[in-house]
Amino acid sequence: MRFQIIIKTLLICFLSVSAFARSDKEMQELFEKYDEVTKYHNVELVEDVFTENFLAQNGGKEKFISKVKSVPKEKKKKGLGLLLNKWKKSKMGEFFSAKRDGDGEDEHSSRTEFIIKEEAGKLKIDGTISDG
Amino acid sequence: MKRLLPLLILLHSTAFAEDSGFVSIPDMSQLLYEGEALKAELPEDDLIDVQEVSYLRNKKASFCMRPTEMVDTIVIHHSETPATYTPEDINAYHLNRGSSSDPWYMIAYSFVINSPYEGMALPLPKASVGRPFEIVGAHAGSNIFVPMDAVQSKLWAAKKILCGKENQVPKFDSTLVKNKKIKANVTTIGVVINGNYAAYNGSINPGGYDPTVETRNPTADTIDMVARLSCQLQKKYPRIKSLAYHNQYHRTTCPGNFTNYMDTIQQKAKEYGCDFKLLSKRY
Repeated sequence: MRFQIIIKTLLICFLSVSAFARSDKEMQELFEKYDEVTKYHNVELVEDVFTENFLAQNGGKEKFISKVKSVPKEKKKKGLGLLLNKWKKSKMGEFFSAKRDGDGEDEHSSRTEFIIKEEAGKLKIDGTISDG
Repeated sequence: MKRLLPLLILLHSTAFAEDSGFVSIPDMSQLLYEGEALKAELPEDDLIDVQEVSYLRNKKASFCMRPTEMVDTIVIHHSETPATYTPEDINAYHLNRGSSSDPWYMIAYSFVINSPYEGMALPLPKASVGRPFEIVGAHAGSNIFVPMDAVQSKLWAAKKILCGKENQVPKFDSTLVKNKKIKANVTTIGVVINGNYAAYNGSINPGGYDPTVETRNPTADTIDMVARLSCQLQKKYPRIKSLAYHNQYHRTTCPGNFTNYMDTIQQKAKEYGCDFKLLSKRY
């Protein structure tokens, strides 16, 4: 009986840790794709990264891609870690917020807070909000 | 083993909360409640109609109360969200800020303006209350300290700024002042215009406008609303003498192109009988 309880407890812990780790991984992958789109212009990933609502708010997919391409493409750097600081699910559960620092040295490279929602089972960026 | 079970679960949940950044809250209905509509106490000869809004607030969060005489500056913000977002939307995002031990109380700004970009029809212009004026906001940067004038120093010395949670006896919080300077949030109020008035510049601000094909400016009506609201606040609270914007307190793209319209807001406010000086420096 005791053995069963131990096994069940360990199983519950393992399953829940796995579930959350998966979410962490998804969030990491989302921001890797975000960088692929915004820094390296891999625009075929646009719909994987942004919600339909975000793209609509930005004039549609084609207009958003044109905006992305208006900024010079960056060169990929080796060993540059993700700048995602932390993320959490909203208290009501309907969205996630994630913060990451700017990686530039100019005065405008401040911390950005992203709003992330689930769309068709995937995490996608729905917008940003000012760091009040 | 049975005795160890709760400990195991606790250890597990603690580790999870630290790793993922989650705030583990089992039942939000116990934490958030919808209070009575917060009223904007503004003079009867209104220059602008300000809508009341009933906000969810986190009763586990701490906040500070101040005498209205502490406030001398209005700080302009943009939300960086789409212009169509409501004050309640902004409140939902701000309720998600902070840590599990120190969450935010409610929307950071004292007033919210909804208005369309230049050349657009929607959203319809509207001004709404945000965080009550007497409650210190959370908009100018949490670690920005500004000098106090004689009135503010006197109020501070008299311990008139008190902090605590709802249904608790508020206490004096000495950390609000450092080297005779006070946190900027105590002496300012935030007015936010919903929308994103900053340019896209790569991986920061993906919702910004494309500066190679367009710009995004406030309409004349929006500028007029900000001027009317500012003037109305000065008439109610005469110690408010300065207009500023977020970027003067904190490294940020906020409020985008609104920085180009501060002179116009000042001029418009003068037409309504108010006299503002523009903050010229950055903290």
